[in-house]
Amino acid sequence: MPNLSRRGALRLTAAMAVSCALPLAACGRGGDDTAATASAQPIDDSPATGSLTVWAAQGDADVLDKVVKPFRTANPDLDVKVTLIPNAEYYTKLQAAIAAGKGPDVAQFFPESQAQFLDPSILRAVPDGLVDPDGFFKSLWDAGVVDDVAYTVPWYAYTYALVYRADLAKKAGVEAPATWDEMVPFFKALQGAGAKRGLGADNGWDIFNGQDVAMYAWQAGGSLLSSDGTWTLDTPAMVDALKYNASFFTSGAADTATPTFLDAQPYFVSGKTATMITGPWVIGQLDTAAKKDGWTASHVATAPLPAGSSGSVSFSAGGSWGVLAGSGDADASWKLVRYLSQPSTQVAQYQAYSSLPAVISAWDDPAVKGQPLLDAFLTQLKNTRTFPQVSTWQQVATRIGKETEAVVKGTASAEKAAANIQSYAESLGTGAK
Amino acid sequence: MTTTTPVAGTRRRTRHTAVAWLFLTPFAIVFLLYTAVPTVAALGFSLTDLRGTDLRHPLAVDFTGLDNFVRLMEDESFLRDILNTALFVAVGVPLTMVIGFALAVVLNSGIRRLRGTFRTLFFAPVVTNVVAVALIWQYAFYADGTVNKALGAVGLAGPNWLDDPNLAMPVVILLGVWRNFGTAMVLFLAGLQAVPDDVYEAAALDGAGRWRQLRHITLPLLLPTTLMVSVLLTVFYLQAFDEPYLLTDGGPLGTTESVALYTYHQFGAGEFGMSSAASFVMLVLVALVSLVQFRLLRSRV
Repeated sequence: MPNLSRRGALRLTAAMAVSCALPLAACGRGGDDTAATASAQPIDDSPATGSLTVWAAQGDADVLDKVVKPFRTANPDLDVKVTLIPNAEYYTKLQAAIAAGKGPDVAQFFPESQAQFLDPSILRAVPDGLVDPDGFFKSLWDAGVVDDVAYTVPWYAYTYALVYRADLAKKAGVEAPATWDEMVPFFKALQGAGAKRGLGADNGWDIFNGQDVAMYAWQAGGSLLSSDGTWTLDTPAMVDALKYNASFFTSGAADTATPTFLDAQPYFVSGKTATMITGPWVIGQLDTAAKKDGWTASHVATAPLPAGSSGSVSFSAGGSWGVLAGSGDADASWKLVRYLSQPSTQVAQYQAYSSLPAVISAWDDPAVKGQPLLDAFLTQLKNTRTFPQVSTWQQVATRIGKETEAVVKGTASAEKAAANIQSYAESLGTGAK
Repeated sequence: MTTTTPVAGTRRRTRHTAVAWLFLTPFAIVFLLYTAVPTVAALGFSLTDLRGTDLRHPLAVDFTGLDNFVRLMEDESFLRDILNTALFVAVGVPLTMVIGFALAVVLNSGIRRLRGTFRTLFFAPVVTNVVAVALIWQYAFYADGTVNKALGAVGLAGPNWLDDPNLAMPVVILLGVWRNFGTAMVLFLAGLQAVPDDVYEAAALDGAGRWRQLRHITLPLLLPTTLMVSVLLTVFYLQAFDEPYLLTDGGPLGTTESVALYTYHQFGAGEFGMSSAASFVMLVLVALVSLVQFRLLRSRV
């Protein structure tokens, strides 16, 4: 359609849509730019007062009430109300609440997928001096920064590493693979030692698979976004990544059908699968799956991801906190965020839920340091990258997952899949208007 | 005095109209709020490039006319989803009707004493929560699920039902049929019970057997019911969402993604304009197919 009557047509459309769009549009608050500077004033050490609403996703935040108890005690005149929201619905509900101008004061975000919220109309800028940016894993901190303005403070961290059955590896006489080429032979050796499948692949074919292939592309020397902000997804590195991922399945080391996310741990414990490419939370959960204390220590080992031509790169992910632009009590909000970012709080969070600290110094605490199986994750966390900080990343990652499935199942070549991903990403752009 | 009667009649009519409107108002408000306004708004959205990120900057939204519809027609996955939906209808509707009709005939003739029990039994899937049902089906059809375990018990190696692009759709359709044959059965049963017994008695006296009675009496007299059931089921299957969403989320490789699921996925991805356009294509499809069905079958009713 020509743009001849664009204004008039837009008005007509707006009039039709107004009853639905108004509450949503309300988030386009006036004076957007003032929010970032207004909250950038230093936050003092006096006790916080008033009342705060905090939204967090179920999971790591289940123990939040327990973790913030000392903060409540130290700030008796502050009322902190924590609302937990199911993980799958979290962003949808948060986005709707923000759009309606009814968001909480403080909200949890996920560094791997929070780019869409990093805008002064949604989040306040982190005040200068609130925390030490260098104290966090770099890629986690960077995930909250847009145009040199930090909007979020990291809370917990995770990345992917290899978690494998040490007992089967010992039986097969193999060491953890260090390079891509050693990966499939390692899986095969574990199968020879009794495992049904060498790798229990995550077959959600969704954003998480997009994440897997993205990190393989980094390992192969690629990047997802060029320095001038255009998508670079049909590169030889992406093709290599797709082929590398597909080789797990075509070699018979992994099955396209099992296990699903919930089955992953029981399958691993029972020996149906012998390796997982997964996050550090499993370390604290395998004993439960095995129904035997000490099972993990005697059966499991971890290793950083095998290196491609460009090293052993993984992605950084976890949780972070932001204070909403619409918060009526930014001062108390930032005091809570500062408390949550302290090493001692993050260690308490680790002890309560096994969420690993995003503050590097907290890893020196005996509670974390005394866990040798976490060493590989620490090594890996120091070599991570941030996913593209653009609002369309989630859609692109989902498409990567879908094309990955096509390659794995042999209905598309890696080259064709990479071209599809690129053209889809180009059609979406990066969300910048 | 003769002039007062029409005035009183008018007053009465006015009062009746007012009462009618009073009773209609709650429905009208709900209809306006939750159906009419969103429909008109969706039509408006479908003509713009509105995306999730634009909610913060509504003035940046552009009127793009029919661009979204053109994009839809060029989107291979949308065209595939139309075919998937057509397959869902083409297999699901006849299968549901045949099973529903067969059970209705059996219940209407043979086991009159246990009719209530069986009717309840067969109708149970209709009133059972679809989420619970879908989860049970998912577990049943997993690679290690009950179906494959049962097959394994007789020495057969079961396939990966929900991960095989050729097998996932039959499972999804089967769930749709399982959930709907009860509705078809109850409607057919009601239709069958409305057929007078003396028509059958007369036919029997003339020497017509069971099959001839079915062909020449039952089926023709059931045409209005058949029309209603087929339209209801067609509209239902055209809007298929619950079964593919809960069982496979459209996978594997998009082989079970319906048009409704495409609309949902586009909305979830923040593509509000595209999502609205897809929902309008579905609206037109449902209207067209229902119209054709009415035309074809009404002439015979």
